[in-house]
Amino acid sequence: MLYSAGSGCYVNTCKSPQVCGASFCSESNPGGNRLSFRQTDRPRESEKDLEITYRFELWMAMRVLVTGGSGLVGKAVERVVKEGEGREGEEWIFLSSKDANLVSAEETRAIFEKHRPTHVIHLAAMVGGLYRNMRQNLDFWRSNIHINDNVLHMSHEFGVEKVVSCLSTCVFPDKTTYPIDETMMHNGAPHNSNYGYAYAKRMIDVHNRALFQQYGRRYTAVIPTNMFGAHDNFNIEDGHVMPGLVHKTYLAKKEGKPLVVWGSGRALRQFIYSVDLARLFIWVLREYNEVEPIITSVSEEDELTVKDAVDAIVEAFEFKGEVIYDTSKSDGQIKKTANNAKLKRYLPDFKFTPFKEAVKETCDWFAANYDMARK
Amino acid sequence: MNGTIEPMRVLVTGGSGLVGRAIEQVVKEEGGEGEEWTFLSSKDANLLSAEETRKMFEKYRPTHVIHLAAMVGGLFRNMRQNLDFWRNNISINDNVLQTAHEFGVVKVVSCLSTCIFPDKTPYPIDETMIHNGPPHDSNFGYAFAKRMIDVQNRTCFKQHGRRYTAVIPTNVFGPHDNFNIDDGHVLPGLIHKTFLAQKEGAALHVWGSGRPLRQFIYSLDLARLFVWVLKEYDEVEPIILSVGEEDELSIKDCADAVVEAMGFTGDYDTTKADGQFKKTASNAKLRKYLPGFRFTPFKEAIKETCDWFVANYDIARK
Repeated sequence: MLYSAGSGCYVNTCKSPQVCGASFCSESNPGGNRLSFRQTDRPRESEKDLEITYRFELWMAMRVLVTGGSGLVGKAVERVVKEGEGREGEEWIFLSSKDANLVSAEETRAIFEKHRPTHVIHLAAMVGGLYRNMRQNLDFWRSNIHINDNVLHMSHEFGVEKVVSCLSTCVFPDKTTYPIDETMMHNGAPHNSNYGYAYAKRMIDVHNRALFQQYGRRYTAVIPTNMFGAHDNFNIEDGHVMPGLVHKTYLAKKEGKPLVVWGSGRALRQFIYSVDLARLFIWVLREYNEVEPIITSVSEEDELTVKDAVDAIVEAFEFKGEVIYDTSKSDGQIKKTANNAKLKRYLPDFKFTPFKEAVKETCDWFAANYDMARK
Repeated sequence: MNGTIEPMRVLVTGGSGLVGRAIEQVVKEEGGEGEEWTFLSSKDANLLSAEETRKMFEKYRPTHVIHLAAMVGGLFRNMRQNLDFWRNNISINDNVLQTAHEFGVVKVVSCLSTCIFPDKTPYPIDETMIHNGPPHDSNFGYAFAKRMIDVQNRTCFKQHGRRYTAVIPTNVFGPHDNFNIDDGHVLPGLIHKTFLAQKEGAALHVWGSGRPLRQFIYSLDLARLFVWVLKEYDEVEPIILSVGEEDELSIKDCADAVVEAMGFTGDYDTTKADGQFKKTASNAKLRKYLPGFRFTPFKEAIKETCDWFVANYDIARK
């Protein structure tokens, strides 16, 4: 079907007197489905050719905007989409802080105007290690509240169907019983050290619920446990277990020194590979309809000790030096199990990448990309 | 020693509301020398806008702020517009608190409420319990936004050493309240209903409000305490401002006091009034700081409020 410029918009609820060029039509029709137009390139007879014909194809297609697209999870989503999770006709756009400063409402609006997404995976945040968090609680609170409000509100204004944001088990109450589950997030103050960051993240859930109550929007969030993978921040002082150990082992091997691990190695954690998390993010985006967030984690029986992680990394790097556990350093919490019953109920057959395989891939990536890795 | 002390310039946001007007009256009657008090209302600035907020601070250059401005509403509006209550109040509060910090304001005292406490909680509630669970579903947007004032105060203290704080009143009443029967709170609603019943020669029906709040504080008493907090209370953790548990009142007590104050002689029936269920807030911290503080006797406060309402019926918010 061919439409020439000047004829009305094909979407039956749109009152526009002309076809809206190459941009996505943001009106949704009463059937509740999004119709998408895409302009295919046809050569014009001449620059002065005023009759521009477009060929439009209608299908239900997602245009997904991923904020924080250059980070650990964003890069994993990009990889997983390329390797088959993406579907035909879908468009995936990965933003980084270079593209827009999401702390600014105007810049966020400009990004939404430019890309007109139907869906958003919202990963962007001001993050930092333990010490930076402790020193800049106010900045972590304010910047993240602004980023989140800008993204969630623009999404709502632009008629985005679904936004999936990223929380973390680290925002849960400091004093709590275990295992923790999705209903417990607001049951007490978070740990002092990342107070501002934690509350800002929690308020994503409040904003989602308020959007649902007032407008029926089903924006939601996932709650991962300890993630790891390529493109992580491998800074050792920042305090994330896996990337810190990967970096330390790499250096120990390179410098022919012993590997010194902080703590006894007995602390238990639920590690999740970024690639697995990315697959779950996409499933949540497509299929998970609750507004209440969902914990995305391996089960309790798959908890591993820090020593298990060290052993896997040592094996992956073929590190032959001495491994010393510095027990004068704190283990942090010995066990902080998150309950993944909800995930298991929805996806009983989900297969996580075997830990050693995931660690090997991560270590290989780090060794190959040492110079440009964030550290 | 250089003897110049900067005079106190206090900016009061939400200055035309129930608490703002009470502070204005208290300051007039008991005000300190050399202090400058400015009472803002929404006509002066839209605090939802960062630029307008900044202009206010540039104009008045306050040394202190009492922050009362908020988007408030009754039960039904809250239930329908949780998003607006969340977003607007977060914006107002961030604009005021952040601009105050940037302008070097020495002290900001904001206004919380016992209605933002966790829905499921043991009683009596105290200042340490604000964040111990989600608030009631009906006004969670408003409640979380208010709670985040405390979060912003604490993080501002951690990062910059600012001692901004907040007060937590229980049920406030007084002149210049919102006397809307559907939207307003129990006591002003009762006053308005009694006034109408008297005017129309009808019976007064007092029935359950669904809100078992039991500690009432007269706006003028609250205003005096606000000024004390502004000048003397140094903690960042908020403080509950309330009468003690022993001075709790039932709706029947309120109805009796209002009826007496207005000289209502018609029929009134309190058999359907809320029962004995309590929701006590602990004022132990306040009693520790101000053991000698005297609250205005309830009947006297009710009389003053009713007299004001009758005299100002036309302009009263309702």
